[in-house]
Amino acid sequence: MWDIILQASNDILLDPSTLLLMGIGVIAGLLTGAIPGFTIAMGVVLTLPFTFGMSATQGVATMIGVFVGGLSGGLMSGMLTGIPGTPSSVATTFDGFPMARNGKPGLALGLGVWSSFFGGIISAILLVALAPQLAVLGLEFGPWDYFSLILFSLTITASLSGKALLKGMIAGVLGLFFATAGEDPINGMARFDFGWDPLLQGFAFLPVLIGLFAFSQLLSDIEDSDQARRPLLEKAMSAARIEHRQAIKMIFSRWGNLIRSSLIGVFTGVLPAAGSSISNILAYDQAKKAAPDDKTFGSGDPDGIIAPEAANNATAGGSLITMMALGIPGDVVTAVMIGALMIHDIVPGPSFISDQPVLAYSVFIAFFLAHFMMVGTQALTLRLFLFATRSPMYILAAVILAYCSIGVFSLHNVQFDMWVMLGFGVVGYTLRKLGFPLAPMILGVVLGQIAELNLSRALSISDDMTLFLSRPWSLFFLILAIFSFSFPWYQTAIKLKRQWASYFIPVAMTGLAFPLFLMQGSVRPILALGLILGALFIFWKIGITNKGEKR
Amino acid sequence: MIRARQDLYVAIFLLMFCSIMIWASYDIRDLGYPGLKPETWPRFLLILLSGLSALYLIKSVKALKIEKVSSEGAVSHIGFWSKYQNAVWCFALFFLFLLSLDYIGMLLGGMLFVFALLTVLGEFTKKNIILHLIVSVISVGIMWLIFTYSLRVHLPAGEIFAVWQV
Repeated sequence: MWDIILQASNDILLDPSTLLLMGIGVIAGLLTGAIPGFTIAMGVVLTLPFTFGMSATQGVATMIGVFVGGLSGGLMSGMLTGIPGTPSSVATTFDGFPMARNGKPGLALGLGVWSSFFGGIISAILLVALAPQLAVLGLEFGPWDYFSLILFSLTITASLSGKALLKGMIAGVLGLFFATAGEDPINGMARFDFGWDPLLQGFAFLPVLIGLFAFSQLLSDIEDSDQARRPLLEKAMSAARIEHRQAIKMIFSRWGNLIRSSLIGVFTGVLPAAGSSISNILAYDQAKKAAPDDKTFGSGDPDGIIAPEAANNATAGGSLITMMALGIPGDVVTAVMIGALMIHDIVPGPSFISDQPVLAYSVFIAFFLAHFMMVGTQALTLRLFLFATRSPMYILAAVILAYCSIGVFSLHNVQFDMWVMLGFGVVGYTLRKLGFPLAPMILGVVLGQIAELNLSRALSISDDMTLFLSRPWSLFFLILAIFSFSFPWYQTAIKLKRQWASYFIPVAMTGLAFPLFLMQGSVRPILALGLILGALFIFWKIGITNKGEKR
Repeated sequence: MIRARQDLYVAIFLLMFCSIMIWASYDIRDLGYPGLKPETWPRFLLILLSGLSALYLIKSVKALKIEKVSSEGAVSHIGFWSKYQNAVWCFALFFLFLLSLDYIGMLLGGMLFVFALLTVLGEFTKKNIILHLIVSVISVGIMWLIFTYSLRVHLPAGEIFAVWQV
C-alpha cells in the first residue's frame, strides 16, 4: 500500500514535468472557466490532443488540473462582471457580483477561491475514502449488473434534460448507435461501413467529441456577428487584490454551510451525468433555506458565495468517485477522461483501482495538488483573464478551430478523423439549435461499446434474460432507471400539486428495498429495512395530511 | 409554430435515417457464433430510436395542430442566412481546408483557413486584414511547431512542399 502511494507521489510530486504540465493545466482551466462562452468540458476536450504524447499519469493529471481550474475560473468573470464564466458558477454571481459592486471585490474573490479550495479538499478526502470501497462493491457486478448500471446512467442523463426528455433520450440512443459503426467489438464484423474502408475503423472518440462539443459550441459563440466582433467583456475591470485572510476567517465561521454544500456537491457528482451546473444552484438554494435571515441573499451575502463555490468544486471529487470505482462517467468531463484513459489502453471499471493502483493513487494526489495550484495561480490568472477579455470572440474561435483540427489529426495521423470532426460538428450544431441536449449523446458514444460488450458477455454466459431481473444489483439499477426516467413527470406533478406525486418517493424507496433484501450480508438488508420504515413513515404522514384535508 | 414545424421535419428525418440504417443492418455478416450477434445491438437501438422518433413525430404534429398559424414568427430565407451565415461560412471554409490539405499541407492550409475565417467573421478593413494575417501566421505557426517538434506528429506537408523535399 505505502509503496504504491510512494510511487504515485514520485510520479506526480517529484516529477518536474508533471508538475509543470499540471500547473499549465490549472492556469488553462482557470482561463477557460473564466471566459464566458467557453466551458470546462471544452477546455478538457481541447487538452486531450496534448495528452497523447504523455504517460497516462501525466495526461490524467493535466486534465484534472484543467478540470479543477475550470471549476474555480468561472467565479472570476461572474464576480467582476456579473456574467458567469461557466454554468457551474451561475449561483456564485447572485451574491458575488453584488458584493464586488459594493466595493468588496477582493473579499468576494477570496471567498470564492477559498470556498472552492475547501470544497475540493473535502471532496478529495471523500474520493480517497469512498472510491476504493465503491470499487470493492463494483467487483460484485456481473455483466448483467453493469449493463443495467449503464442503462441507469443514460436514463438519468436524459431525465436531467428537463422539458426536453424525449429529445434527451433520442440524443442518448443516437450516441449509442454512432458507437456501433465500424468493426463490432466481439466478432470484428464490419457494420455500417457502406463498403468504404475508412468507416471500418468506426468513429474515433476524440473527433466525435470535439465535433459535437467544441466545434458546435464555438459556432454558437460566433453566431451573432456584432457580438463576436466586440471584445469578450467590454466593461472596464481592474484586477482586485484577493483578500485571503479575511475570506478564510469568514468561511471557517460558516463551516456548517461549507460542509453541507460540499456534501451536496459530492452527492451530485456521484450521480451519473449530474454535474456542477446543478450542484451550485442546489447548494445555494439549501444555504438560503438554512439561513436564519435569507433577506440578505442576492445582495452580497457571504453564504451565497461559499455554498455554490464549495459545491461546484466538490462535484469534481464526486464524479471522479464514480469514474474510478465503476468506470461510469459522472459528467462530460469524466467522459473525456475515460476516453483519454482508453487511448492509453486503460479501461476504467470496478477493477481499475486494483489493476492500476499507482495510476489510481496518482489521480487522488493530482486532485489534491490541483486545488493548491488553483489557489496559488489565481492572482496570476486574474491578470491573464483581464488581458484575454480584450480579444474578440471570433479571433479566439478561429484559432481554436485550427487547433482542434491539428489535435484531431494527431490522434491517428489520418485525415478521416478531421472529416469526422466536421461531420459531427454539423450534427452537434444542428442538434444544439434544435434544442437537443448533447450530454446524453456524448455519454451514449462513450458507453455504447461498454454496454454492448457487457450485454454480449451476459448472453454468452446464459441466454436467460430473466437474470437481468433476478440478480439483485441489476434489478436495483433497473428500478433506479425507471424512477429516474419518470422523475421529470414527478417534478411536473409536484408543481401541479397532483395527489400521486406524494407517493413517488415512498414507492421508490420500497422498490429499491426489494433488491437490497436479496443481497448478501447483513448491512444491505438493514439498509433495506431502513428504506421500508422510511417509506411507511411517509405513507403514514400522507394519510394524516389527507384526513386533515377531508375534514 | 416554427419549433413545432422544425420538430416535425427532424422527426421525419430521423425516421428515414432509421429506415436506411435498419436496411443497412441486413448487410452485417453473422458468423453464427453463440452469444450476441453483430447486428442485434445496433438493430435494437435503431428500433428503439424509431419508436422514440415516432413519438416525437406524434408530439410535433399535436403541437402543430394546437398552435395557431402566425406569420409573425415566420423566418424568411434572408433572416435564416443572416442568423446562420457565420456557421455556414465556418463549415464551408473548414470543408475547403480539408479538401486542400493534401495539396498545400497543414501549415499553409491552416494559416489560410484561419486568415479566411477571421476575414469573413471580422470587419473587412485594412487594419483588420493586417491583424488577421499576423494572428493566423503566428497562431498556426506556433501550433505547427509544437506538434511537429515537441509532440513529434507528422502533420500533412502537402504536395507543393513535397516537391522541395524531393
